[in-house]
Amino acid sequence: MSKKIWYYLRKTAIFIAGVFILTLVVFFISRLAPIDPLQSYYGERVEKMSVEEKNIARDRLGLNEPVFTQYFKWLDNAFHGDFGISYKYKQDALELIGERIGNTLILGGIGFIIIFLGSLGLGLWCARRENSLFDRIVCKLGTILSCVPEFWLALVLILVFCVMLRILPSSGAYSVTAANESGLAALGDRIAHLILPLTVVVLEHLWYYAYIVRNKCLEEIRADYVLLGRAIGLTKRRVVYRHCLRNLMPSYLSIMAIAVPHILGGTYIVETVFSYPGIGSLAYESARFADYNMLMLLCVLTGIVVIFFNMLAQILNEHIDPRIRAEQTVSGRRTADFRQEPK
Amino acid sequence: MGNILEIKNLSVKIPAHGGTVSAVRDVSLELKKGETLAIVGESGCGKSMLCKSIMKLLPERAVIESGQIIVNGTDITGLSDREMTKLRGQLFSYVFQDPLSALDPTMTIGRQIAESILIHQRNLGKEEILARINELLTLVGIKNPEERSRLHSYELSGGMRQRCVLAIVLASNPRILLADEPTTALDVTIQAQILDLLKDIQKKRNMSTVLVSHDMGVVARVADRVAIMYAGKIVETGTAEDIFYSPAHPYTQGLLKSLPINSRGKDVLETIPGMPPSLMRLPKGDAFACRNPKALPIDFIEEPPMFKISDSHFAASWTLDKRYKNSNLE
Amino acid sequence: MQDIIAGVRNLTHEFQLNKKLKIRAIDGLSLDIRRGEILGVVGESGSGKSTLARCMMNIYRPTEGEVFFKNIKCSDRAEYKKHAFELQTKRQIIFQDSASSLNPRMRVIDIIAEPFRINHIVPIRGSIENEARFQLKYTGLDEELLYKYPGELSGGQRQRVAIARALAMEPELLVADEPISAVDVSIQAQLVNLFKHLRNEHGFSIMFIAHDLAMVEFLCDRVAIMYRGRLVELAETKELFANPLHPYTKLLLSCIPIPDPRAERERKHPDFDETEFDTSGCLTEISEGHLLLCGGEKSNNKKGSLAIG
Repeated sequence: MSKKIWYYLRKTAIFIAGVFILTLVVFFISRLAPIDPLQSYYGERVEKMSVEEKNIARDRLGLNEPVFTQYFKWLDNAFHGDFGISYKYKQDALELIGERIGNTLILGGIGFIIIFLGSLGLGLWCARRENSLFDRIVCKLGTILSCVPEFWLALVLILVFCVMLRILPSSGAYSVTAANESGLAALGDRIAHLILPLTVVVLEHLWYYAYIVRNKCLEEIRADYVLLGRAIGLTKRRVVYRHCLRNLMPSYLSIMAIAVPHILGGTYIVETVFSYPGIGSLAYESARFADYNMLMLLCVLTGIVVIFFNMLAQILNEHIDPRIRAEQTVSGRRTADFRQEPK
Repeated sequence: MGNILEIKNLSVKIPAHGGTVSAVRDVSLELKKGETLAIVGESGCGKSMLCKSIMKLLPERAVIESGQIIVNGTDITGLSDREMTKLRGQLFSYVFQDPLSALDPTMTIGRQIAESILIHQRNLGKEEILARINELLTLVGIKNPEERSRLHSYELSGGMRQRCVLAIVLASNPRILLADEPTTALDVTIQAQILDLLKDIQKKRNMSTVLVSHDMGVVARVADRVAIMYAGKIVETGTAEDIFYSPAHPYTQGLLKSLPINSRGKDVLETIPGMPPSLMRLPKGDAFACRNPKALPIDFIEEPPMFKISDSHFAASWTLDKRYKNSNLE
Repeated sequence: MQDIIAGVRNLTHEFQLNKKLKIRAIDGLSLDIRRGEILGVVGESGSGKSTLARCMMNIYRPTEGEVFFKNIKCSDRAEYKKHAFELQTKRQIIFQDSASSLNPRMRVIDIIAEPFRINHIVPIRGSIENEARFQLKYTGLDEELLYKYPGELSGGQRQRVAIARALAMEPELLVADEPISAVDVSIQAQLVNLFKHLRNEHGFSIMFIAHDLAMVEFLCDRVAIMYRGRLVELAETKELFANPLHPYTKLLLSCIPIPDPRAERERKHPDFDETEFDTSGCLTEISEGHLLLCGGEKSNNKKGSLAIG
């Protein structure tokens, strides 16, 4: 047991070190970008400022110090929960993100769950009916949908459902009037605002991952254990859902762990088109205007998400596939120890 | 003794790129209760396809063109997949060449056996299932069944894996066991053990076995009757004694002669010249004719029918035709 | 003493599975291959036969011990570099699965020509095409296969192409790692005859790794039995099959199936509870040319341990 605790402690240490290295890299790279951070702080006023004024402003923001000092100051503050202010919004960066992250989590999170389960279901469904009409139609349709640019799909949906049919709202996360309505109505309003952005997010990613599941599952279906399962009287459906699923889960989980930031980050265009107040737009602005503090905080968040989900996937995989467990942990058993043949 | 399995004029075709593969051509066979029938042939001669068509586990593209498969007196040729699923496991089951890939790597041996038990007996308690697992593992000769049932396939040796596959298959108590090269992937020492085990279990459970193999030594050890398959056709059937001591078909004769044990002291092995034909482009007449140095002119024109040599021994070769024999005498 | 062409001395090879786990595939093995002989190497799967073959060919670097070819110590990096050309051309290997050891995107002629191109050798028979034609004919293949891809050939034909490629370099030593076990029975006999022909007519030295003991008995001059990475017995074929001494060899021999149903049904396999055999001790020459692993825990046999050769 203590071995296992050590194992997880070690993983956590690697996790923390990973985030630390990430901040370091992002900090220095962002300093290399040829953009003046003052521009995001003062906006157009910066062009009228004299060199001295600029210098004073830099001093105030701590930008004149050596990059290392800046980094360690940032790190020190970050440890105390202070991530600095956003140059553009002149607000505490953490607070700013806090206000908006909920919206992104709802959009991206629900999207991710739908994509995760939907891809798995669709992929298995298609694999079981390889080359049937259904499979072929879904394959073609999915490929086309994945090729359609997000913004275009979003605009078409807005055109159809908001302009022509007028049944769904076209922008925002909630109606201005919804604030005074009761809980249930407000929830309905939220959902109505979510439908279109969510549709775009899901449609863009769903087939990509479903296709991976389908192909991986087809590979598994060719394996002998499927034939043995059929030979002892299991239905094909049961073999696929009981055995193939278990065997393809490790690779699927690993892929989905990488997909988390991809899908969350991919909501950016959707957020812009639908004027949805999430952190996608924040991320874009922070990079464009050298909003250093905001950028750093977003990087740390993304890093945590990536590393956390990767670790989660790995732990789940070890749970599902004993071979990975044996490779990873020290207690890996040797096949040769069990070679002894009874009479 | 009655026949538990009868195959009548079975033909299986598989459409493929650039033609149709005639995997099984007009095969007729019977399997008696409690006997072991060995099907011998080279890779790609259709012996695996024959087994899979008995269980109706053919690839989806494959078509049974004609013929009947009769198990226990009922014709199963036209049964749907759902009806077949009920029969599989209980009536017949299948053991493969490679036990590693036949086991699900993510599940323990015990769970896989339990799954097999539960397919046909749904309402067993946990204790009963555990007892059955132990009983099955002991039957296939695994010591410490409780401990071993908690292991995964990658933790076992090849021989142990094949034993576990047997335990999974035997859980549903099949009447017919189709064993497709069950020992080919194993070492010689373990091969002998598994063959003995198969024989032993067959006696205990009164099963009938179809053993597919290319190894004449293995066949000699376990088979009661032997069917030689060449290019999708059965070319000779008979008791093991018939086949090994008085082979009638030139292919069978060639196979036996090419065994090193029959060339002891000689400088070269006897060989069958040439290569087996592709099942996609079969030659006219006897498929073996082009490799047979003593082929008759008629071999290249017409396929020989099965000739009866004795009550148990049949072979498809024109040399057995009366006309040929007479002309030889003249 | 007969002319020795290649061999290994106290060879040990370990595979590092992860930080803590090592598997010793070969454990202190010494072996010689004489010029013009076919040496059979037999053992269960996992006994280190293939690892031995790969060490002989410098595909794996031995953890300990040395590999030599003629007078060249090829396990030594500097010496290997000095004699790289000779080592790469005069030793050739044939693998078990020709379907995966031949590049499916290359035509037969390109496969045979590749070693010439890599080593910048001008073929003796003029052009590469003539050379490839000759090698195909020599290994019993039709010339029309020259422009085909491995996928279009049958298993037996492919294995012959693999042999043709190996022979094109006119090697002195041929290492064949289970060359016939993936091939049909009727083709096996043809290939075995080809190997025998190579030895008899052209004096090739061949290390023939197999698990089919009946074929080994027919083909090989001497047989080495491996068990768990150790050499347990080595003798002339006739001597070994007539007078096996090590219990593992006895077990192996008793398990060869005989294609004779009456005899086979009556034959009892010896009971063996344990496949664990003692692998300690050292190789001792019991009679001339017959080496046996003995000593170990039970007896302190001081007949004089012997480093062969």
